[in-house]
Amino acid sequence: MRGFWNPAQPEITDLIIQHDPRTLARLPVRKQDVLQVFSDFGNRKALRAVEALPEHQGILDDRAIDRLLIATHWEMQRLAEEFHHGNRVWDLLRRAVTAIRNSGFRETLRIVDVGCGTGYTLRWLAAHVPLEDHAVELVGMDLNSTLIREANRLAALEQLNCRFIHGDAFSREHSGHIFLSTGVVHHFRGEALLDFLRRHEQPGTFAFLHYDFQPSFLAPFGSWFFHYLRMRTAVAKHDGVLSAIRAHTARTLVEAARAAVPGFASGIYGARIWKTPAPRVFHTLLGIRRPLLPEFHSQLGIRGARLGELR
Amino acid sequence: MTLFALYVLSLLDGLLCGARVSMGRSAVIRKRSYYVRAQLRGLAGAQIVGTVALVALILVARLSGHRALLRADLEAAAARMLWIFVPYAALVLGNILLRLIPSVDIRSATSVMMLGPLTAIRPLVMMVGVFYGISASTLWETRLLGLFILALMLLLEFALNLRASRAQSCEIHSLV
Repeated sequence: MRGFWNPAQPEITDLIIQHDPRTLARLPVRKQDVLQVFSDFGNRKALRAVEALPEHQGILDDRAIDRLLIATHWEMQRLAEEFHHGNRVWDLLRRAVTAIRNSGFRETLRIVDVGCGTGYTLRWLAAHVPLEDHAVELVGMDLNSTLIREANRLAALEQLNCRFIHGDAFSREHSGHIFLSTGVVHHFRGEALLDFLRRHEQPGTFAFLHYDFQPSFLAPFGSWFFHYLRMRTAVAKHDGVLSAIRAHTARTLVEAARAAVPGFASGIYGARIWKTPAPRVFHTLLGIRRPLLPEFHSQLGIRGARLGELR
Repeated sequence: MTLFALYVLSLLDGLLCGARVSMGRSAVIRKRSYYVRAQLRGLAGAQIVGTVALVALILVARLSGHRALLRADLEAAAARMLWIFVPYAALVLGNILLRLIPSVDIRSATSVMMLGPLTAIRPLVMMVGVFYGISASTLWETRLLGLFILALMLLLEFALNLRASRAQSCEIHSLV
């Protein structure tokens, strides 16, 4: 498949920023290399968007790209606000937290947001949830230092009790009791998805909640319409729609999770709106340690109807 | 009275335009004061538009040789415009009211399926309303005033958007 609708292609923001995987240092990106990728896919929308990016002697201008990324993430936050994402996350997260607490765990629970960007989810939680009552610590991690700086600036601006770290969320020193993410999982495909999930298998980790677009027949068109109306930058419009096209099916996610992390019971939460066949825009790949299952089911209560098979 | 109703609707439109252009341009969590300021800017913009329109109306009326006829024609055109603008405003306000229901699904649905598309068709609604209003008028002054006010209203969102865009760009440049 060629053109914009090909799910095999990367998003623009996957390519215009590159980091050394070991040192996390920013690497120069040749504009022509990015253009070549989208040219190979015959994606004219992406070509137009990348053509417009400033460069110096063929290398994309770091500062201009950072500004674009910040603008894009502010726009993406609007999407999260319109979907009341913070409420949705807390509605499920608090049940997982309570299940862990009721199992006898007394230490501070570290919740790590993987690929947190500008940290909307954690900042929302810090602004709306009495963290001391639940004894939780909120840590956002991202490989992009600009976004982490912005997340920390925003948290400080509103005196929010959360912090953001430039680094690998699954490294030993930053490991979380609960991992969560939003719109991250679809960036990992094939073996990379399995590798990503395998990294959750850490001794201290109790659960993971990964929110991502839910693919459906209407999702690409709905996403296109939504982004056309709401987004302002060409990159946000392009990547937002492509994200919906690239989103993994529930089956792919669940099969990958069950194969990669058998120590967790995995399933999909919140796929349908109420008891109708209408799909929600986001669904959640949920994983929880097996000994916690009975308590977690009990905490879900009537929300249990939103949970697919958890095994 | 009909002209006053149009004026009130234009203020409401300005208020909502102010909110709309500010969305996605601030990443703080607690945004109430940010949105209030943005709405007040929109309201002020609509008031400027209303004042300019009033001055134009007074000028045209002064220059007109048939004031009574012009007034009746303007009232009739305004009344016809209300047939388009009032249902549109009711639809927008109805959806905003629906957001009071404490359900994230309903709130999201009103944003995505109703307020988004209603926002998108605003320029079209403006044009349809004004053209429908002036279509049956007999005086060129009424038609000219209608088109002038339409241009002002369309310009309002453009100007507010430009201002918000510049403010955002300055803020981001100060960060990076």
